[in-house]
Amino acid sequence: MAKVAREMVERAGVNVNQLVELLVKNAAAELTTFYYYTILRLNLIGLEGEGIKEIAEAARIEDRNHFEALVPRIYELGGKLPEDMKAFHDISACPPAKLPADPTDIKAMLTVLVEAERCAVRGYTHICNLTAGKDHRTYDLSLSILQEEIEHESWFSEFLGEGPSGHFMRKGETSPFVSKYLR
Amino acid sequence: MRKFTKEDLAQYNGRNGASAFIAYRGTVYDLSDSFHWRSGVHQVLHNAGEDMTDSIYQAPHGEDLLKKFIVVGKFI
Ligand code: HEM
Ligand SMILES: [Fe+2]
Ligand SMILES: [Fe+2]
Repeated sequence: MAKVAREMVERAGVNVNQLVELLVKNAAAELTTFYYYTILRLNLIGLEGEGIKEIAEAARIEDRNHFEALVPRIYELGGKLPEDMKAFHDISACPPAKLPADPTDIKAMLTVLVEAERCAVRGYTHICNLTAGKDHRTYDLSLSILQEEIEHESWFSEFLGEGPSGHFMRKGETSPFVSKYLR
Repeated sequence: MRKFTKEDLAQYNGRNGASAFIAYRGTVYDLSDSFHWRSGVHQVLHNAGEDMTDSIYQAPHGEDLLKKFIVVGKFI
């Protein structure tokens, strides 16, 4: 634990135990999403599916990066991950992004994907709100993750034809915002 | 329609197998089936069995998410 770092956050008036619990739940959402997106991506085949495969893969890798970036902050603040991975899965902040009954139904696949991203966008917006001006490091980390989640939402939303958002698929390295936490 | 007082509502806190009900603007909703209200706790901060009307301003979403849940009564 980074004792003084935690103390600074407490003194700023943040309920650190609550914050850590939220970070753990969101870390669980990232790792479980990474797992479920693996199955979704594998099933994105055929004329329509192949077109989405690449962004699903980028979103999958970036969610794994989000997990990796969150974990050190949890421990700095004095928290820890559950010892049992089943327990970890079950406390996820977002529902499992399960494969639809008919994986060739592209609209159903995209709906699972966009809903998972929307849950993440809401979750990190909330963590930003809780930490803004108080816990600078968690704020910056959550904001970096939020930047990428909003792009993920935009990608899938555009494929659903909900309207343009001005985003294009990931060019260059994955995690342009979060990578500074992975080095 | 069933009328719930504060004490009635408190019974449905989602814990130990109890249903998870919340009040919002005078209406009581059953959120027992919601993933996001498992064990009656929402996002670490909110508990079932309580009136959520004054808490929605903190939420990163609007009241529209309540629409798909069953109304079980009035909060008086
Ligand atoms: C700090 C306050 C809150 C936070 C951070 C929060 C966060 C969230 C998040 C992240 C979701 C998931 C949405 C998605 O999947 O896109 C959600 C869903 C939901 N929230 Fe909240 N929320 C808060 C307060 C409230 C309050 C006060 C109410 C009730 C009046 C409420 C009712 C709901 C409902 C009904 C859902 C949908 C559940 C479902 O579909 O299973 N939330 N909330
Ligand atoms: Fe993520
Ligand atoms: Fe994402």
